[in-house]
Amino acid sequence: MAKPFARVLLELADADPRVCAVSCDCRGFIAPLAEQFPQRAIEIGIAEQNLIGIAAGLAVRGKIPFAIGMNPFVTMRCFEQVRTDLGYGARNVKVIGAYGGGVVYGGWGCTHHAIEEMALMRLIPTMTVVMPADAWETEQAVRAAAIREGPFYISLARGAAVVEQPEEARSFELGKAVLLREGDAATIIGVGPTVADALRAGDLLESQGIAARILEMHTVKPIDREAILRAAEETPVIVTIEEHTVIGGLGGAVAEVLAEAGAGTPLKRIGLQDVFAVMSGSQQDLKSRYGITAEAVVKEILHPSGAGAHHKDTKNTKLRGVP
Amino acid sequence: MCGVPGQQNRNELIAELEEKARRIRVLVVKMAGMSDCHTGGALSMADILAVLYFRILTLDPRNPQWSGRDYFILSKGHCVPSLDAALAMRGFFPEETLTTHLERDSMISGHACARLTPGIDVSTGSLGHGLSIGVGCALGIKMDREPNRVFVVLGDGELQEGSNWEAVMAAAHHRLDNLVAIVDRNWYQTGATEEMMRLEPLADKWASFGWSVLTIDGHDVAAIVDTLESVPFEQGRPSVVIANTVKGKGVSFIETRHMARFDEAQLRAALHELGA
Repeated sequence: MAKPFARVLLELADADPRVCAVSCDCRGFIAPLAEQFPQRAIEIGIAEQNLIGIAAGLAVRGKIPFAIGMNPFVTMRCFEQVRTDLGYGARNVKVIGAYGGGVVYGGWGCTHHAIEEMALMRLIPTMTVVMPADAWETEQAVRAAAIREGPFYISLARGAAVVEQPEEARSFELGKAVLLREGDAATIIGVGPTVADALRAGDLLESQGIAARILEMHTVKPIDREAILRAAEETPVIVTIEEHTVIGGLGGAVAEVLAEAGAGTPLKRIGLQDVFAVMSGSQQDLKSRYGITAEAVVKEILHPSGAGAHHKDTKNTKLRGVP
Repeated sequence: MCGVPGQQNRNELIAELEEKARRIRVLVVKMAGMSDCHTGGALSMADILAVLYFRILTLDPRNPQWSGRDYFILSKGHCVPSLDAALAMRGFFPEETLTTHLERDSMISGHACARLTPGIDVSTGSLGHGLSIGVGCALGIKMDREPNRVFVVLGDGELQEGSNWEAVMAAAHHRLDNLVAIVDRNWYQTGATEEMMRLEPLADKWASFGWSVLTIDGHDVAAIVDTLESVPFEQGRPSVVIANTVKGKGVSFIETRHMARFDEAQLRAALHELGA
């Protein structure tokens, strides 16, 4: 997403002299800005702690800095700087996980997987956490980040458009889930690259005559409680799918909303089940080995596993007749 | 202007600043008489703060957020009591506030807190954060093409945090001559710094990273004034002052101590040593 991000960054910088960027060895993301406004595009080398500290200092001076680094490193190596200098410091800094989160790095190894980014960034008071699904949404998220005062994390999308609607029909509002498909037999909630898996699961169910509701939860914090609770009321089961650890990420956030509201709707969280994805192979290979697939979603809806399977609401009348 | 009155004015200025430093120490000691306090490191930098707040920094206590101000960052945030004292004396808030140290809803905090205390630009307490923030602030000022400066006071033990050296590298690379680091070299953390993790040759380390370095006696007020009035030491380079100090300076019986809370007799003795 270097290109759409860099284009919007330049557009924002052109409109507002406070907008600037600090890059942690992510030159491609600031190159157009550097060409036009060299003083406002700062390369600081491979040093995440310094990246966040410098961004905080720029914000002390009233700037709106975008601090750009690789997802696992910019959320973990400098977690304390993000928490203390940006969160506690209440700084208007936009942290950008540049090359994709979750297990997008596939066989390049667990050092480069950002399976904890959602949980970690969500932990920080006042932090907004967004993971767009594709280029179009990335542009909207970056624009929204510049406008919203306070610390902000974006895990940039990677890959082609996943949302099937034409651009003019799409909308992006922070904290608002996107209803991709209407349905009442189940709700599938995806984030980032797993929106594609959610849509495919929807196709598979549709081929069996089952209409699943599909929500894209690009804003993991603050999460769209209303959309979740509406889904809990109107559909008998909710399945979340993410490439992250299910602890504290999208699944964790949805679980918190459901539990606190006393919704009682069965929830299945698909994602990494408290394990590292240790294997060689592509992103898809990892996802299929660790059960982060459209098929896994379908299986959970048709043949629920775990404690939820015994819940009263699993007598899913919408599925009657399905073997 | 002829030399003699100039010299006399200078002597008066130094005497005035020495009195300010003594007053900061008295206020810190009184705080340590009421509550737990990182007294040692607060006292070691009292002379540096007196010179900064009463001679060097461009500030407006009635408008702490004034964009024309020089920025000050206390990276050794646990030593905030002497900064609180300097800010109160400079008029950012009433001196009586200092009697509320660590009390419920006080506007001063156990570690420097920008969200509670007027005049504090950056919240600190976790070591190794302040210099990077100073680098960012100095870069922002350069973007604005403004003359403001950024002063960061660091502890010496704090320099064991690797993040400092990322910031040291970046400041030199970006030629930030509007950034001044002052190392309160009091030689002690919870124990002797050189025994716990050697920093020497400390001036060489900064110089080899591209900073312009001066080493001074951090209790010689005239030397602190001369040094800080001459920044930047070189165009195009950040400046660092290694100020050799004594931890607990001014109260002989707590020298080298990290934390000290005084009982009544100790408080009397400490104030007596400070001529109060």
